[in-house]
Amino acid sequence: MQPLANVTPLKPAARAGAIEVKNVGQVFRGRSQDVVALDDVSLEIKPGRFVVLVGPSGCGKSTLLMMMAGLRQQTSGTITISGAPIPQPDPDRVGVVFQEASLFPWLTAEDNVEFPLALRGVPKAERRAKAQDALKLVGLDGFGKRHPHELSGGMKQRVSIARGLVQDPPVLLMDEPFAALDEQTRMTMGDELLRIWAATGKTVVFVTHSLTEAVYLADEVIVMSARPGRIVDHLQVQLPRPRTYEMLSGDAFGALRDRIWRHIRKSA
Amino acid sequence: MQSTLAINLARIAIIVAILALWEVLSRTGIVNPRLLPSASDTFVTLGDLLQRASVQKDLMVTATEVLAAFALAVPFGALIGFLVAENRYFADVAKPLLFFAFSIPKSIFLPMFILVFGVGFAQKVGFGFFSTIFIVIMSTTTAVESVKVEHLTVARSYGATPWQTAFRVYLPSMLPVLLEALRISMIFNLTGVILAEMYASRDGIGHQIATWGENFQMKQLLAGVVMVAAIAMTFNELVRWVETRCSHWRT
Amino acid sequence: MSAKTLRYSIVIGLIALWELLPRIGLIPELFLPSLSSTLLAGWTDAPEYGHALAVTLYEVVVSMAFACGGGILLGAIVGSLPRPRVLIMPMVSSLYAVPLVILYPVFTVWLGIGSESKIAFASIYGFLPTMLATAAGIQTIDPQLLLAARSMGATLSQRLVRVIIPAAIPTVLSGLRVGGALVIVGVVVSEMLISSAGIGYLISRYRTILDSPHVFAGVLLVLFLAIAFNAAIRWIERKAAIWQTGTRAGQANDEVASGAMQPAT
Repeated sequence: MQPLANVTPLKPAARAGAIEVKNVGQVFRGRSQDVVALDDVSLEIKPGRFVVLVGPSGCGKSTLLMMMAGLRQQTSGTITISGAPIPQPDPDRVGVVFQEASLFPWLTAEDNVEFPLALRGVPKAERRAKAQDALKLVGLDGFGKRHPHELSGGMKQRVSIARGLVQDPPVLLMDEPFAALDEQTRMTMGDELLRIWAATGKTVVFVTHSLTEAVYLADEVIVMSARPGRIVDHLQVQLPRPRTYEMLSGDAFGALRDRIWRHIRKSA
Repeated sequence: MQSTLAINLARIAIIVAILALWEVLSRTGIVNPRLLPSASDTFVTLGDLLQRASVQKDLMVTATEVLAAFALAVPFGALIGFLVAENRYFADVAKPLLFFAFSIPKSIFLPMFILVFGVGFAQKVGFGFFSTIFIVIMSTTTAVESVKVEHLTVARSYGATPWQTAFRVYLPSMLPVLLEALRISMIFNLTGVILAEMYASRDGIGHQIATWGENFQMKQLLAGVVMVAAIAMTFNELVRWVETRCSHWRT
Repeated sequence: MSAKTLRYSIVIGLIALWELLPRIGLIPELFLPSLSSTLLAGWTDAPEYGHALAVTLYEVVVSMAFACGGGILLGAIVGSLPRPRVLIMPMVSSLYAVPLVILYPVFTVWLGIGSESKIAFASIYGFLPTMLATAAGIQTIDPQLLLAARSMGATLSQRLVRVIIPAAIPTVLSGLRVGGALVIVGVVVSEMLISSAGIGYLISRYRTILDSPHVFAGVLLVLFLAIAFNAAIRWIERKAAIWQTGTRAGQANDEVASGAMQPAT
């Protein structure tokens, strides 16, 4: 397997899947004034945790995620994944799932999942096997030969998740992946995602607008304020796993959701 | 992003560079000056031509033909286009036929116009009409269809009469699209008329350009080309400017 | 009566009128030769028409190579790079307003009345709209696809070859269709104006001797060429329809846009 030219070598002793964000700021230079998107954000995510970033529009949560993915550079502070900085995308360490599934319409589902491997020059047989495993993991065994336009919204996102996981990175970043789906599909996909997470033990950073989704999925919820984005709360979700639908109407759930909502209302 | 001033300066610089290249190629003899008169010579000839009565007459003839064809094509085309947009049945029948008519080159019908009308005003106006009417129909249909159903429903719920709906909803809504349609239709129209003049005519600027070409009068030919190009582009930009003034509310 | 039936009836009716009206003398044969005499004229002189078609086809193919090849390539480049695009595109679309036929006499002076002048003219005629259409089409490529590719570690050349080019195929096909149709028009028109060979020349020559059946036969031949080309490209476009979902282009808009891009002459 050819290494990508832009891959940063890992420190072998580092904790694979740990994310550290230290004093990160992001300033966009505008024509008339500068916009501070993120202001001195720091957090630490332990390996294998499911962490949700939630906050009002424009709070910079997606920006933070893009920086963790290596798709954007912060103007100040450091971000490390598995102990090393991430100046450029590194699919060995980080898989990314976007709101729009962004599958290539001219490729089949399995070709889409194989795409990152094809970029690296992985031989066909190995690519095929890994893609099949990934599709099986997301529950799409047998759908490999379909094209994106033959798949529903939920299925497209599953393929996107499979693609993010095919290189077995320790970290999975997800930017409002279910936002474009209808509510029922969202709930099903949420359960699916938790199942996949439990089976693989990845570190997941999940960005969402939905407070319900945040509390339902997360181990930890990080609440961000409106621009300039700061962390205003960091709460642990102690609800037992596996999460069930009944929990949604429970007192514990409601209390957590209220707490988040109060923070968001204050800062918006 | 550079400012618009910088961009316009850059564009002017490109044009100046092209003109300079033209001048140099001809004057230094890299290209035979009899085949490519220099830019300066061409522009001098252009000024000269514009003062000649025969050229002025030719321009008038062409302009008259263009306007006549336009005056005929627009009302007819708009009416048909409106019918296609408003009447479902009519649209189902007509649209495939119109698409077909659109996809075939219309210039090959020019000899037929000559067979029927002979060589003269009627032939050129007729062909101009023929060249223009289809695009007018298509554009009108698109323009009418672009009026949002929601706006019409609002008007209706407030009891607007058809007349009021036409003037207060359709017209303002369609104005930018209509202007664009007129602009493009005029392009087709001008092209059709000039082609007809170049092909078989006794007068008109198209005929004159063809004659200059036949007689190897390169200076006049190039000057004529520049003249027609300039007129066409000026008119185009003028209408475009008006369009943008009317379109500021469009998403 | 369903719309489709009415349409077919109209077409059949027109064809019938074409045959009958001249025959019964309502329209002089000079203005409208009957369908049968048109077809007969074409059939009897098939070798002549065949030879003319060969010349025209040759000119069309070569011109298409220039117009479409150049137009698509330059359109792709200018369309993808914001600076050149902002700079050049408005100027190019201004040029679109000029009736380019006026350039043809210049080419006949420079290159003579043979195929070269036709190719030069038709190439330019087809080039501008193809470039405009391609540049516009390139911009409709979903930028999210490129973001996804970048997130997977694709290098610039990988993004170009594995994302941009496949995503651009509908645009390229559309450019071929627009450019090709215009090249056909350009070739035939220039042959009609000043030429010594080709279908356009044939049509003009028969017109001067007022031989309507032969004129119409020639016109039919050109129509057939244009329709066949259009149908072929549309067939290819349909086959490649999977790609359509990678851009925002809608079918209906495509029709009008491509029509508007096509000077009707």
